[in-house]
Amino acid sequence: MMMLEKKNRKNQFRFKVLNVVPDVFQPVDLVAEKFIDCKGNRSKMGEFKVHRVRFFDYMPSAIRAMAFNRRSERLAVARADGAVEIFNFSDNYFQEKVIPGQDSRAVEALCWVDQRLFSAGLNGEITEYDLENLRPRCTMAAFGGPIWTISSNNRGTMLALGCEDGTVKMFEVLEERVQFQRNFDRQKGRIISLSWHPSGTLIAAGMMDMIRVFDAETGHATHRLLVERGVGASKSREVVVWSVAFLSDHTIVSGDSAGKVQIWDGVTGTLLRTHLVTKWDVLALSVSQDQSSLVAGTSEGTVIQFQLISSTVGQQDKEWVRTRTFKNHSHDVRALAHTETAVVSGGMDTQLVVRPLLDKVEKNTQESSLRKIVFPHRSLVCCAKKAGLLLFQFPEHLELWRLGESEGHGKPGDSLTVKTKPEKLIQLKRKGEDHICCSALSPCGGWMAYSTVSSVRLYRLQYNNNNIGITKVSRLPKDLCSVHQLCFSSDSSRLFASSSHSSVIVVALNQQECTYLHTLKPKSSSRQPVHLLFASEDGKWLATANTDCEIHIYNLDKLKLHCTVPVYSSYPTAIAIHPLTSNLVVVHADQQIFEYSLEQKEYTEWSRKLQKLGLHSLWLERDTPVTHITFNPRNPAHIILHDMFMFCIIDQSLPLPEAKTLLYNQMTLRSVPEPERIRHSHAFKICKNFQHLLCVRLLEDHSLVVVERPLLDIMSQLPAPVRQKKFAT
Amino acid sequence: MADNSDKQAEMFSLMLDSSDDEAPEEVTFEDSKTQALRSMKQALDTARREKELLKEKRRKRQELFQEQKKRKLLPADVLEEIDSTSSKKPRQSEDEAEEEQQKGEGEKELRKKKKKRSGKLAHSRILKGNYTVATLKERSMASFQQQAAEDFIQSRLYGPGSCRTTSNELLSLQNKKGWNKSAAVQFVKKDWACKEKAKAEKLKKRWIHKQQISSC
Repeated sequence: MMMLEKKNRKNQFRFKVLNVVPDVFQPVDLVAEKFIDCKGNRSKMGEFKVHRVRFFDYMPSAIRAMAFNRRSERLAVARADGAVEIFNFSDNYFQEKVIPGQDSRAVEALCWVDQRLFSAGLNGEITEYDLENLRPRCTMAAFGGPIWTISSNNRGTMLALGCEDGTVKMFEVLEERVQFQRNFDRQKGRIISLSWHPSGTLIAAGMMDMIRVFDAETGHATHRLLVERGVGASKSREVVVWSVAFLSDHTIVSGDSAGKVQIWDGVTGTLLRTHLVTKWDVLALSVSQDQSSLVAGTSEGTVIQFQLISSTVGQQDKEWVRTRTFKNHSHDVRALAHTETAVVSGGMDTQLVVRPLLDKVEKNTQESSLRKIVFPHRSLVCCAKKAGLLLFQFPEHLELWRLGESEGHGKPGDSLTVKTKPEKLIQLKRKGEDHICCSALSPCGGWMAYSTVSSVRLYRLQYNNNNIGITKVSRLPKDLCSVHQLCFSSDSSRLFASSSHSSVIVVALNQQECTYLHTLKPKSSSRQPVHLLFASEDGKWLATANTDCEIHIYNLDKLKLHCTVPVYSSYPTAIAIHPLTSNLVVVHADQQIFEYSLEQKEYTEWSRKLQKLGLHSLWLERDTPVTHITFNPRNPAHIILHDMFMFCIIDQSLPLPEAKTLLYNQMTLRSVPEPERIRHSHAFKICKNFQHLLCVRLLEDHSLVVVERPLLDIMSQLPAPVRQKKFAT
Repeated sequence: MADNSDKQAEMFSLMLDSSDDEAPEEVTFEDSKTQALRSMKQALDTARREKELLKEKRRKRQELFQEQKKRKLLPADVLEEIDSTSSKKPRQSEDEAEEEQQKGEGEKELRKKKKKRSGKLAHSRILKGNYTVATLKERSMASFQQQAAEDFIQSRLYGPGSCRTTSNELLSLQNKKGWNKSAAVQFVKKDWACKEKAKAEKLKKRWIHKQQISSC
């Protein structure tokens, strides 16, 4: 050990273990939780010590822009830190892909052209994203200063940009890139918002104090619509037209900073109607496909709907009437999308809200419920089961923590005394400008790795008494460059990294260095990225799942493909391989659970039974996906999985719940005397004591680690909301 | 009006006085010619002299400035270093500008501003003590503009006149209107409202002290 230290003195950082207790509400406590099984005994089977971890200060980023692709039913969301997320609206709103952000990229607007995604930002560049490799494909400077808005015409041939220097720039969309075509007449103020007329011949541009209508062929400005400033103190400030929409009947709708939604006649250039909807700014507008409904988002957090209806029944003259007001946000709403059946809004409170419109969907069904997407649909926490360490992934750094210890036992629900407090061992800042895409920690705690869109970094960790040493492994195989998912084998001898075209790179780890072993490739020609990786406990199998819904199993002894699980139409959100039975357990975005035997290459008996009976309706109605599956070494019949609001232990030896039985029956089982319990218990034991769950893991010493992120913590760190005077407060 | 006419009459009378009684003088052509030439020469002389005087003045002033400049300037070798690097950068940007498709006013301003900046570097003052000059990583125009644009959004949404409140207020409003009314968030969270908590602690101690005094 001493020899090694001397050699690697250059790369080694020495840290003293810090004693930090950053937990906010209460010190980390170890709670004794008990699950009642059918025998009703307080056996070790059902009793767990729980490490309740609340020191993961994960802070989601504000939503800045969004764009909905009608054909593929995908919503692209851009965040303030430059990250772009793709949500699949046809598969339970699952967050399919995440492209990590970058320090200088300040995305202001997003735009779909067919299946290609473009963004423009305040750094003056247009970026096209590679959705197969989850990174920017190319960037192009527009040379107009910061770009405020980007919009494409209906045919998908041209992109119009609104720039700080007052020009509207036209770019031609070519196969591999975009090319500058020409500028429109330069204006004296910045162009904040743009909207194409559906025919592609006119463009309405929102600026300071006015709206300009341009002829798209000649580039000359034809009309100037003057927008009135606010009253009182805001009369001296220019009014900013934050958003415009050009409708096919030549009506222009604008939302401005004085809180007005105005309807203009685009042909004559006159104001038809003004609606004062808020005291603050109207920041976003979105029009439905059939142009009969539009929504406006304000700084108050409200979303106001206007519909084109006739004031008297049977009359032909329709006008825009304010109909509904939704208040689903506490902070400014900066991005809106109007789909066929719902209104999607997002803003400074970082939550994505999908509000189905009740005149388009059936009431009181799963479809009509309000959805709030708060946390990412993938795991940001890695746990080293043998060493009791946690690795937290932030966009710009990683934190390694050691869990605390406690003595003694207690009754369920008790808080146990903490003997050693949890400690932050390492805080590692990423190098360069790119944000961290994925990270991994080996089960023994000796290796740590993270990747960005441009590089992969691997570190060796050494523990001597109270000191921890971290050494960077300098020479990595060339193939390890752009990786989407990382996973260590259970004996920490290999690192698996998912690369392009659904392939997986296998790298061997010895002492201080790593050598390339093999690249595992699936038979299918899928170009989609692998978003889930799982290495089995015995080191024989590797399971991968990609965004084409394909699940491949590789035999690691022979280093080749073993089998492919039959494709199910919903995305796999979590996969795991049982250590003893070698059964693959998969949970999908529509909450379906499958179990597949790797030896027999077919679905197991239990899985067929579950499919035949069907899952309980309450289980299927859950709106957050299961992000991790793990097993209980002391009871092979247990499968432990969790989503944002609950964690569940599925006991395969117990009967499955029928449609009419109570699903959340832990409370009833506790209240019922022991002999009765056998009648009422079923396989799904659900615990909802801990929320919002970011991670649930089982350590080697049979204690549960539960990482919670209270919403109150996030809310208290958000920027200032508007001041509203409420009656009686 | 009356004054003016009087004055005019006086002048006229004076002129008349001088020339009325005597016969006109006889001035030969040569005399008047020489006189004219002399006066012209004189005029030219004075003009030249004035010019020379001005020149002298200017030269002296220039010298004075140069003296002062010499005193103010940094040592020559340091200036050389700055000049060489700053001259490279404007040249680079000019090349890039030529490669661009559009040459708007923006680019011209860019070049002007860069030149100004390199010019400013030359006129720095010598301060007391030892110091070294290091060329900083020059922030590109794009990031300045980006910062300005972000400041614009920040000032429009959060600047003066935007009527904003704090997260604490929002949370306490929610608390007041909620079903379960609990303690204010600033007392529940540990790292909030430290001053208020300290104040509360002090008051508590004072009150306890008073109680003890009044009891004994």
